[in-house]
Amino acid sequence: MSEAPESYEAAVERLEQIIDRLDSGQAGLRETLDLCREGRDLVTYCTAELDAVGESLSELKLDELAAKLASSADSGDS
Amino acid sequence: MGEPLAPDQLAASPGPDLPGPFGVGRYARKLQEEMRKRARVLLVGEVTGIGRSKVQAYFELRDAQGAVPCAIWLDDLEKAGLPEGGLRDGAEVVIAGGPDYYPGGGQASPSFSFRATHVRLAGEGDLLARLEALRKQLRGEGLFELQKQLARPALPRTIGVVTAESGAARRDLLAGLERRGWRGTVVWGFAPVQDRRAAPAITAAIQDLAAQPAVEAIVVTRGGGSLADLWAFCDETLCRTVAMLRVPVISAVGHERDSTLIDDVAAVACSTPTHAAEAAVPLDCRAARASLARAASSLRRAADSAVGARTPHLVALARGPARALRRERLALNQKTREIRAASERGIAERLGFQRRLATVVLERARRRAVGPDMERSREALRRAAVALRAHEPERTLERGYALVEAGEGEPVTSAADAVAARHVRLRFADGKVGAEIEERD
Repeated sequence: MSEAPESYEAAVERLEQIIDRLDSGQAGLRETLDLCREGRDLVTYCTAELDAVGESLSELKLDELAAKLASSADSGDS
Repeated sequence: MGEPLAPDQLAASPGPDLPGPFGVGRYARKLQEEMRKRARVLLVGEVTGIGRSKVQAYFELRDAQGAVPCAIWLDDLEKAGLPEGGLRDGAEVVIAGGPDYYPGGGQASPSFSFRATHVRLAGEGDLLARLEALRKQLRGEGLFELQKQLARPALPRTIGVVTAESGAARRDLLAGLERRGWRGTVVWGFAPVQDRRAAPAITAAIQDLAAQPAVEAIVVTRGGGSLADLWAFCDETLCRTVAMLRVPVISAVGHERDSTLIDDVAAVACSTPTHAAEAAVPLDCRAARASLARAASSLRRAADSAVGARTPHLVALARGPARALRRERLALNQKTREIRAASERGIAERLGFQRRLATVVLERARRRAVGPDMERSREALRRAAVALRAHEPERTLERGYALVEAGEGEPVTSAADAVAARHVRLRFADGKVGAEIEERD
């Protein structure tokens, strides 16, 4: 993927545009293959986003979140 | 106020040219008189700092904008007929009375208070009136629109939730998130949701959650109750805080018919915690997965057909030159064969012609070389050969004669030789046969 989508919504919107264009039958071979490649990248991105909130619900209290973030920051520094 | 003090009683003028100076005690009593002339009114607010002396109860009546110290004689309080413990910290009450001033005395300190003569617990109507006034004020300041202009992520990874640690709202919200197929991170900001400590605690929890960069949306929720129960969510400070946040807040306070001020300032107001889950995670993750699968399938079909649909045409185009080449090659081969055949015919004809020409030339040359004598000698020789051939025995045999031969083929030319030979062979034109000589005639 040349550039990561701005957000999940932006990715889905672009994906819908691509499929509409492909369904129109107006795209030539080169454009079709380029659109398919871009579309596949977007599907991969969206799937990863869904996977990120699809494993198991995590519950934290506010102080636990702060401690977790502080711990991440420390390990990032070291 | 009384007469001012005589000038000789003053050491020096303490200030500008004003009336006085007056004795402070007399001034204090005059102040008390003036206060008591003020109009009597009804006030509504929350009781805080309640205390009692032998003769009166005192407290502060406050709301988000200010407070007034109040006092009520115990006799009047008793007449009010409040339930046991009704006048307590946190209680919303309506009091009737007016300002008063106690001038103090030699040993007692002066004080100002609102002297209440009647008191009752605030009813729904009182709260609704206060709520409406507050709503009008905040709307006028444009605070209802700020949150609604914030972008809400369709698929947040982390959401903050402010609610009571033990309550149905917490359970219902989790169930709603589960139904969306969402399993991200929930950060709880637990807070009391129904007493005088509730509003500050909820405000602090919301601010703390909003300060975490990971938190993409905040849900504030609690179950249903009376307006007095939900009054913390109409707190002016709380609502101003929510309005100014850059993180979208989703409120789900009370039931559908309940309307609190936080609903007005929040980005989205929901009737139930389940509805709040849908607003916090607008994307139905299960449906989104199915939709993505369909999109991936469409892309695969498009890619396949983009090549597949063009392949026959491309193949036909690719075969075109080969067909043309084959056609040309066949035509070329045919021409080559024709040329070769024509060439061979030409050569043969030319050779035949040359051969015939050479024969004629040679014959002419031979004739020129041999001359006429040679030609006559040849003719004589040919005639001699014909004559000689006429004398060959074979010619005689051809006419029906036979030649008698003996031994090694010597001719038997007499009867005596024949008898002597006894075994002879008769030679005819077409072959030989053996013969036995019997006797001489």
